[in-house]
Amino acid sequence: MNVDSELIEHMMNPKNYGTLESADAQGIGKNPENGEKVAIFIRVGKDEDQPYVDDIRFQAIGCTTTVVAGSMLTEEAKGLNFKGIYNLVDATMNLLDKLPSEDAACSEMVALAIRAAVDTYVKREIDPDFPAVTYQIASSCVPKEEEA
Amino acid sequence: MKTLMIKTHEVWLEMLMAGFMSKSTNKQVLFDFSDILFRHLTWLENEIITLDESYSYDRDAIPIKVEKLSDLLHDLVKRLGEIHLQLMGSPDKALNARIGSDIDYMQRTLKEMKDEAVTAFNVKRELEGIPLTQEATDALTLFLFEETYKEYELILIYNYLKAHSNDAYMNRIFQILIDESFFHLKRFGEMGAKMGILAVPRVVMKELYQVDDVVQFLKDGIDEELAAKEECKKLSEAVAKDSKALAHFFDFINHQENYHIALMKDALTHYTGEKH
Repeated sequence: MNVDSELIEHMMNPKNYGTLESADAQGIGKNPENGEKVAIFIRVGKDEDQPYVDDIRFQAIGCTTTVVAGSMLTEEAKGLNFKGIYNLVDATMNLLDKLPSEDAACSEMVALAIRAAVDTYVKREIDPDFPAVTYQIASSCVPKEEEA
Repeated sequence: MKTLMIKTHEVWLEMLMAGFMSKSTNKQVLFDFSDILFRHLTWLENEIITLDESYSYDRDAIPIKVEKLSDLLHDLVKRLGEIHLQLMGSPDKALNARIGSDIDYMQRTLKEMKDEAVTAFNVKRELEGIPLTQEATDALTLFLFEETYKEYELILIYNYLKAHSNDAYMNRIFQILIDESFFHLKRFGEMGAKMGILAVPRVVMKELYQVDDVVQFLKDGIDEELAAKEECKKLSEAVAKDSKALAHFFDFINHQENYHIALMKDALTHYTGEKH
């Protein structure tokens, strides 16, 4: 990982870390390989009937890279409407191939948790008791040379 | 009582962070006070368990970025005052008197402490007298963030397990592991402050300490200790050509993990032996 000042700032003061008491929905991204996970909490606002992420928090069982990814991606997600969220998630997923394996797994976990939270919200519009959606990542946290 | 415990948790950590920031004789006093506050936390936790109330180690973020130590000391005095006020409404009068007396003394001492300039947040990432390459500096930076959190997490996990166990054999092991994690947390926090990258560990998720399966937890814990040994070894190798002293320190931490692994294996044998 390239340790620059922006990264250190996210490590020292992760943005949006914690839970939201008045969350409208929660989503989980999980690594089945090692039990690491990210929980995303969102509060949804409506702008001309278009729902958007008014506030967002995350918690993680994982490494510092996961916390940095959570800090960065939740900052980007704040204020986006749902189409913007799906675009953000897709853009992140498209970048995974270019990242080292452990960074890719962490970023994927956060991106999928954000998508899961929005999907939970959408499902709860129809069924208010719908449980929090969980997605599992496909990336492996283990570098390829260690896998061999 | 729950609010009291949360506030005590926050002030314990803030006092510990103040200890890391200090470069004078204030340091040891602040560390001693943070140890006392941690014990207050365990007493309050025990009260909550006795009352059969649910609780967690959730807390608010604790802002600590200051340029002068006195700014943090003022905040500590204020937070201690809030705890003192809340104690009055709490049922265990003897416990309240004990904690209240400690708080009185701490407040008086903190008010009299000499001020210091704080450099723990300057992000210089340098260790005095130890020139490190960029690669070694980056490796050490990542290690300190990772492991400072990890030690805090372990303290809370073992403390929670201990609070909910009446098994003296297991509690002896949990207490040793808590003490060991405190030692590591203090060393890593000290190093983080010297490098100008001091940070409060993030809040630990409930499911990590509200353990359903202690056997699995111990097995995973042994694997994590083995991984930590590997990280220490890598770091020792990364800094060896720049500083033998630093490399020896990480070898020492690496070898301490053997001790933790032995204790956890001991706990595993004891636990499975009893349960099956």
